[in-house]
Amino acid sequence: MKPLKLTLLIAAVLAPVSPIFADDLGDLKAEISKMRADYEQRIQQLEQRIAEIEVKQNYVRAEIATVKSAPTSSKNNNSFNPAISMVLNGQFSDYSEPADGYELSAFSLQGEGGLAREGFSLGESEITLSASVDQLLFAQSTIALHDHEGSTEVEIEEAFIETLGLGNGLTVRAGRFYSPIGYLNEKHIHAWNFADAPLIYRGLFGNQLGTDGVKLSYLLPTDLYAEIGGTVGNGDRHPGSGEHSGIGDWLVYAKTGGDIGTNHSWQAGVSHWQSSPEDRSYSGGHDHGGGSLDPVLFNGDTDISNISLVYKWAPNGNIRQQNFTLLGEYFYLDEQGQLNNSTELAHYNGQQYGGFVEGIYQFIPHWRTGLRYDWLGSDLRASDNELLSDADLDFSGYHPQRYSLMLEWSPSEFSRLRAQINHDKSSRNDDTQLFLQYTVSIGAHGSHSF
Amino acid sequence: MKKIILSLLLLVASSSAMAELNIFACEPEWAALSHELGGDKVTVFSATTGLQDPHYIQARPSLIAKARRTHLLVCTGAELESGWLPLLQRKAGNAAIQTGAGGYFMASDYVALLDIPSSLDRSQGDVHAAGNPHVHTSPVTILNIAKALTQRMQQLDGNNTVYYQQRWHDFKQRWQASTERWQQQAAPLKGVNIVIQHNSWPYLLSWLELNKVAVLERKAGVAPTLDDLNNVLNQLKITPAKMVIHAAYQSPRATDWLVDKTGINKVTLPFTVGGNEQSKDLFSLFDDTIKRLLEASE
Repeated sequence: MKPLKLTLLIAAVLAPVSPIFADDLGDLKAEISKMRADYEQRIQQLEQRIAEIEVKQNYVRAEIATVKSAPTSSKNNNSFNPAISMVLNGQFSDYSEPADGYELSAFSLQGEGGLAREGFSLGESEITLSASVDQLLFAQSTIALHDHEGSTEVEIEEAFIETLGLGNGLTVRAGRFYSPIGYLNEKHIHAWNFADAPLIYRGLFGNQLGTDGVKLSYLLPTDLYAEIGGTVGNGDRHPGSGEHSGIGDWLVYAKTGGDIGTNHSWQAGVSHWQSSPEDRSYSGGHDHGGGSLDPVLFNGDTDISNISLVYKWAPNGNIRQQNFTLLGEYFYLDEQGQLNNSTELAHYNGQQYGGFVEGIYQFIPHWRTGLRYDWLGSDLRASDNELLSDADLDFSGYHPQRYSLMLEWSPSEFSRLRAQINHDKSSRNDDTQLFLQYTVSIGAHGSHSF
Repeated sequence: MKKIILSLLLLVASSSAMAELNIFACEPEWAALSHELGGDKVTVFSATTGLQDPHYIQARPSLIAKARRTHLLVCTGAELESGWLPLLQRKAGNAAIQTGAGGYFMASDYVALLDIPSSLDRSQGDVHAAGNPHVHTSPVTILNIAKALTQRMQQLDGNNTVYYQQRWHDFKQRWQASTERWQQQAAPLKGVNIVIQHNSWPYLLSWLELNKVAVLERKAGVAPTLDDLNNVLNQLKITPAKMVIHAAYQSPRATDWLVDKTGINKVTLPFTVGGNEQSKDLFSLFDDTIKRLLEASE
């Protein structure tokens, strides 16, 4: 019965359109096979529609029950606005020694390298904008506002463009960015684990090293994470100063890392930075009675090498519940050249080095505590020690140290309250420092970098 | 000479035959689905396990290395991975996985999302502007996603379109049969009153027609206060519920509190593949989910 029906059906479908007297059998065959294909396609489409309806039947009910008006903003003209976020923070600081007298023995404090003012102060307020420029480029800029000697200063912390999926693991960045030296240096200060910079960051860079230039990075096609890269820049930022044939500083780096099971992950990095500063001035500088400062200047070559190691632990890799981070970095600066002021000149050979180790433990969700130890050393030799004294460099070989303890409460990803206490032996005057700090982020969701 | 050319050709042919589609799945459910649909033509890496909160993941070195060599990202989307996926895309130097590219597949793009908020304000907790991202908790949505994913695999790996078509038909048949079975098994659950800890389940609830009477987390992702919990307690006096549900990867503190106060049945659902020992693939995930719900409703 069934085959008969089907034949009849096919005949019925074919009858009105098939040529009754076909001269050529081949034509007829082609016609029929075309028909058949057409017919099969129609059946397939019908089958597909039935299948789709079957699936939908179950789902439609749910849809009808919960249709809500979507936020209309996505259809407005501002949907191409970049991701905007703002980080606000404020703190209360208390020191047992006067903040003005703060010194870091054998290091010259530059930029924001000193202590935050005592009492209440507004830290940096940062605005970050980022978006894809087009199909090739991504752009990001961070603008920081902070008070400096009674007036508000605007600083472009970062402003760069970066290739989006250039391919083969290559990424090129151009503009102003934090140098890929060390682990913390590439992170913004508010993402650090303590309220103040490690002493070595403070001493070498005035908290953080950036450059205006170009960065090239290459990610190796290996299972183990391995990235190499380099930057060239204008060398304007301390400890650089001035450029030679357009290049003021350059850096090469290599990073590797991975997971050990699901609970552990790690990253290790090495980097090397070089610059040939011209007339780099020291923070010291003595008034020789004429009323004007006579700063000590450095000319020569500066090399900085860094190694960093990060280890993180989280049960089942679920960092939200509990986690632990151990971070250690070491920097070694070696420079040779000349020191001079308006009247004197000396050969100079200096090594400044040091590092820190910090452990951060999130013992329950939203609560973290951490311990940090800083240690610095130096060996500064000049043919005329008077210039070292004029530059406020302590060449006695004193080793600054600092112990820090902090406790944090983060009610959400976007806010944090922190209390920190330091026992600071940056110079021969021991200081006890207390910080109470809030940090919040509003706007676009920040990224969870390692 | 001919031999050399022939062997060279063979080498090229064999190397292209060996070239598998490298899939980076952000969550284990998409890794499982990719396995189902891709068979031995794909290699699948899952960025997270069933015991991790998929939002709170860092762009770890190992993930960057994987993303570098990925042909296809299979993720949830709807902002679930917004903290780490964009960073991986930027750091991987891989054109294939950039937003909008063929290798960028977001499952939630193929689902009519539920719980789209009418206002966006972080004071309301973890608000997802696009809607609730936990789309894999209903087999109905999974089937839609599977179909779209098959098309994507065919598009990226043109040599194996027939193979993927066959896998899809096979999966569809098994999945539809299983879905019917689950629906029959779960018939007694229809209209049952439940309490949930976190709003992870809108798709499951609407599929099984479970009746949510209370949510412990008044604001998504924010641990409930004692007041919130007492409100739930009062609500339950008016409309009693059979069970309270939480996901295996979440801390059960709030759920345990309620169980302690009311003696209500506690259900720890696997939430995704690997969320417990029984949930080894998508089929056993739903087998186990239904089983646990039925046990608690008795």
